Amino acid sequence: MRGKILHAIGLAAIVVFTLFPFVWMVMASFKTQSDILASPPVWLFTPTLQNYVDIFADTKVSGAIVNSLIVATLSTLLSVILGTPAAFALARYDFRGKSDLWFWFISNRMTSPIVLALPVYLLAMYANLLDTHIVLILIYLTFNIPIVVWIVTDQFKSIPPDLEQAARLDGADQFTIFRKIYLPLGAPGIAVSAIFSFIFSWNELLYALVLTRRNVQTAPVVATSFMSGYELPWGKIMATGTVIVLPVTIFALIVSRHMVRGLTMGATK
Amino acid sequence: MTFLRLDNIKKNYGDASVIKGVSFAAAKGEFVVFVGPSGCGKSTLLRMIAGLEDVSEGQLYIDGKDVTYEEPAKREVSMVFQSYALYPHMNVFENMAFGLRMAKRPEAEIKAQVAEAARILQLEHLLDRKPRALSGGQRQRVAIGRSIVRHPKLFLFDEPLSNLDAELRSQMRVEIAKLHRSLGATMVYVTHDQVEAMTLADRIVVLRAGLVEQIGSPTELYDKPANTFVAGFIGSPKMNFINAKVSSASGTGLRLDHPAFAGGTLGVDTPAAARAKVGDTVTVGMRPEHLTVGAANPVLSLTLDFAESLGGSTQLYARSEGEPVIALTAGRPELKPGDTLNLGIDPRHIYLFNAAGLAL
Repeated sequence: MRGKILHAIGLAAIVVFTLFPFVWMVMASFKTQSDILASPPVWLFTPTLQNYVDIFADTKVSGAIVNSLIVATLSTLLSVILGTPAAFALARYDFRGKSDLWFWFISNRMTSPIVLALPVYLLAMYANLLDTHIVLILIYLTFNIPIVVWIVTDQFKSIPPDLEQAARLDGADQFTIFRKIYLPLGAPGIAVSAIFSFIFSWNELLYALVLTRRNVQTAPVVATSFMSGYELPWGKIMATGTVIVLPVTIFALIVSRHMVRGLTMGATK
Repeated sequence: MTFLRLDNIKKNYGDASVIKGVSFAAAKGEFVVFVGPSGCGKSTLLRMIAGLEDVSEGQLYIDGKDVTYEEPAKREVSMVFQSYALYPHMNVFENMAFGLRMAKRPEAEIKAQVAEAARILQLEHLLDRKPRALSGGQRQRVAIGRSIVRHPKLFLFDEPLSNLDAELRSQMRVEIAKLHRSLGATMVYVTHDQVEAMTLADRIVVLRAGLVEQIGSPTELYDKPANTFVAGFIGSPKMNFINAKVSSASGTGLRLDHPAFAGGTLGVDTPAAARAKVGDTVTVGMRPEHLTVGAANPVLSLTLDFAESLGGSTQLYARSEGEPVIALTAGRPELKPGDTLNLGIDPRHIYLFNAAGLAL
């Protein structure tokens, strides 16, 4: 009993700790600049929608959100489409250079993004891709495919090989086995990797800042663009932040349904 | 008529040779059991018949056709896995229908076939359930159902009962035997359990370390084991072995010396005995169930270690000069540890093996 109470207190502390910045951001987005800067902080205040009116009056923000949606959705979709067959091969087949390939996937994620910022910028410039959706989608693929391959390979490995062999005896070809056995049973891992990919693409700032100009600025770029040398319009920044966080939260809630563990339970024994 | 034929089948993993040349033929409708200790290669052999493992050397024929390099699906075999390997995301109906769907059969036929299999296996009320909502025995039935809907040429079973508890196991054993009788299909069954082998098989293939030790009907293997391995593997409790020296031989009569024998010596007078010479070491085999307690002219005179009552029968553990001997006797004899145990046996039930372990 005492253990349970301590457990609950611990959990509550973690929840408060992780949610506080989020709550602070949402609250600030409904405050006036003077309420935001008040010290001690004001907990009871008259909410105002002025910040939201301001940011949506400026088409920059809504346009940026559309850009972010296009880039994040497409790069997530592509990394799942390209990453899951790769994961299937890595999980179930032995071939020459398999471990090297595996390391290559992982090492892609080890490089600090800023190291490659300049070469990528130059490449994009020569390819005439600066300030396009495509360049961001391509760059995010290099980050997202490893995530998908990583997580999904592990998930696929946990599927009993007997299932695949049973399907082979039932007359299924490789592609059918992948589609009818591995994809449905790997759904939890695929969903998790899709969430990670989406969140990464949605939040990414460095490359978005470097590779875009006016046309395809993404939401994080626009949020930071409010910071000028003379003023910090916290209300607008926080309102933009809230608007940025919203789609990711909704997306995660939708996909989390598929993250139920134990889907492979009952297959064997 | 030969339906399944293995012609000097070999399997190597790199330098390691797992199956070292197995030849064997089964008739249509026969129930064949591969039996042997773990690691003997019986499952590998079965998987080669299924096509899930490549054959390194040799030829494999099913229904007169060379299928050595044929795709698993084209061999028209079905397999029940030890783990059942049910598709966890599909319900019972879809699990059984999967193979038919792959073969692109019309929906009406799929429904009829699955319904028929469900009827035979009493699964009708479970068709909507997912495998995780089934008990072990029910999953086993679904796995069998999945294999019968396609009417394969050959049924393969890979230790299908090893995950079930003892009671369910004997129940399923009877059901598999019934299924074999009603379908009249050729079945190959792998097990390490000699009771399953004895009760189910028309013919048993005893394997050890990738080689066939003996092929024969259950009673043949029991009555005429080819060597000490088969003699020890078939029958429970296992056969007692006593290594004795031949002290004299005349015609078919043989005199064997060992301290365990009553009076230190045992006379055997059978055609087999004629094949031993004076000075040879001969392994004498006696099955526990053939030994009788308190016989008029005992062959073994031993000291009782302890007795286990099984209710209707008693298992006696005795020893003499380091050779433990087990005897199985009906009822509950009044004996206590340390008592002298005089055991008799019908001379026809004495098995003789030479020094290499081969039957004389």
